[in-house]
Amino acid sequence: MSITTFDKNMSAVAFAEAGEHDTARRILGENAKKQYGKAPAPAAKSKPYLKTIIFGTISLSAYYMLFTNEKLVTDTFTMGGWHWIYPVGAAFFFSFTHGAFASNLLSTLGIEAKK
Amino acid sequence: MKKLLIILMFALVPLSLLAQSALAAGGPPTDILKGVITEVNEADRTIVFQKHENKEFMTLTLGADMKPEEMRMNKKVLISLDKNAGENVMKDVSIMFMDMTASKLLALLVIGLIGGLLSGFIGSGGAFVMTPAMMSLGVPGAVAVASNMCHKFPKAMIGAYKRWKYGQADIKLGLVMATTAVLGVQIGIMIQKSILNSFGNAGSNLYVSTIFMIVLVFVGGYVFYDAWKLAKGDGKETVSKLAVRMQKIQLAPMMHFKTAKVTISAWITIPVGLFTGMLAATIAVGGFIGVPGMIYVIGASAVVASATELIIAFVMGAWGSVQWGLSGLIDIRLSLLLLATSLIGVQLGALGTTYVKDYIIKVVMATTMLIVAVSRGAKIPGYLADLDLMTPMSDPIHALLESVSFWALVTALGSAGLIITVAMVKGMSADRDAKKALAGVNHG
Repeated sequence: MSITTFDKNMSAVAFAEAGEHDTARRILGENAKKQYGKAPAPAAKSKPYLKTIIFGTISLSAYYMLFTNEKLVTDTFTMGGWHWIYPVGAAFFFSFTHGAFASNLLSTLGIEAKK
Repeated sequence: MKKLLIILMFALVPLSLLAQSALAAGGPPTDILKGVITEVNEADRTIVFQKHENKEFMTLTLGADMKPEEMRMNKKVLISLDKNAGENVMKDVSIMFMDMTASKLLALLVIGLIGGLLSGFIGSGGAFVMTPAMMSLGVPGAVAVASNMCHKFPKAMIGAYKRWKYGQADIKLGLVMATTAVLGVQIGIMIQKSILNSFGNAGSNLYVSTIFMIVLVFVGGYVFYDAWKLAKGDGKETVSKLAVRMQKIQLAPMMHFKTAKVTISAWITIPVGLFTGMLAATIAVGGFIGVPGMIYVIGASAVVASATELIIAFVMGAWGSVQWGLSGLIDIRLSLLLLATSLIGVQLGALGTTYVKDYIIKVVMATTMLIVAVSRGAKIPGYLADLDLMTPMSDPIHALLESVSFWALVTALGSAGLIITVAMVKGMSADRDAKKALAGVNHG
């Protein structure tokens, strides 16, 4: 049978009321250890502000560079033949930088997957 | 046995690569010229055209219904030739890179976001609306297909990665399906080509739309029925009877898929993959058969099937992009603008699946499929008329059907986006309440 957090807290209370403070503390201590990182109300995790800003800047400047050199880019990227490397490579590059930005942005906004 | 399978899988990849110039949605066209118009002779209805690849000049004659004043000089254009009308006669001309305006930019960003959301959630979707949407913004068809392909694979990659992290994507199942799907694409293209040769463009359009309708109505209808049953019951998903029967077939080689929790004969997964590829080649959305196939034939859950579909989409999309890149038709600006928001959408959709019940995925999928079926169905009378199987329609009716078709796509996208958002917000707030209640117990 598994002992829930509630059960443990209650037994700690019972020991504390009976004057067995050390035992109570030990039970609570174990409790805290076991629940580490999985606590029902976790301490506010620091949000990845810096990462969001860094990846956001890289991604934004890449977009800026692309659109200020529109003609050059579209011309080289559509030469055909081995030039397929350009569009496919660019798509990979943007998916990593911009994807990382998007992921961190969502975390910063507090939108995370259910644990 | 495992070794045999791995060898089989790796043997299939080069085999399929050998069958060249084939990919989802038909393959790069070969009768298209890329280059710049340098001179227009109104008197004899010809133009001087400089080819992009080798900078050679050639003289082309305008098609019967083309006007010399419509020719734009010194801009990169795509010209398709009318081989039936004679040597070097043009069928039509379109500007390869549309001028980007603020409203077009905004439209691409919005489509990208909702398409991404849908992809992350049900594993596919987006292509059926992105290609027509780009075309209505003035992008030539071939460029629209190519640019969509090039935005699809990075999006699928990020989505697949996220859902793999959530423990939902079965990489082995994805790779097995993708390899067979690539072969299926070849078969699909062969069928397409033979129809195109014997019945022309209208016949091919009719074939595509009919297949689209049949698949979407039947499969979408069944998924909807299943989701409805689940919603009415306790919402717990059970493996379909068909899948249970399929899993009982002990025909070597047997394959075990850990994440999908399925052991099944390779002879069952191969046809599912082939059909996915064939459908991808026909209607550009293989996921509409791949996901239901994985759920009802192989026996994976909706969450695992939709996550695994993203792996298939990545493999097929990456391969397709290389093909389109070889013929130089990708407008990277379009791909990257779609990516700008779809990379956010796909991650949002992916994490959304962790908050909703399994059947919500089926609801979204079925709703999208059925509304898209309406969009395609509205186009069928036009194609029938083109083939002289029906009396031609009057212009207002034609215009009405065209707008029904367009708005059905918008509705499909909009309603799917809405269901996902509502389900996700509900799931998130329920989760938050549960956590608060638990914290209350602990503190109290």
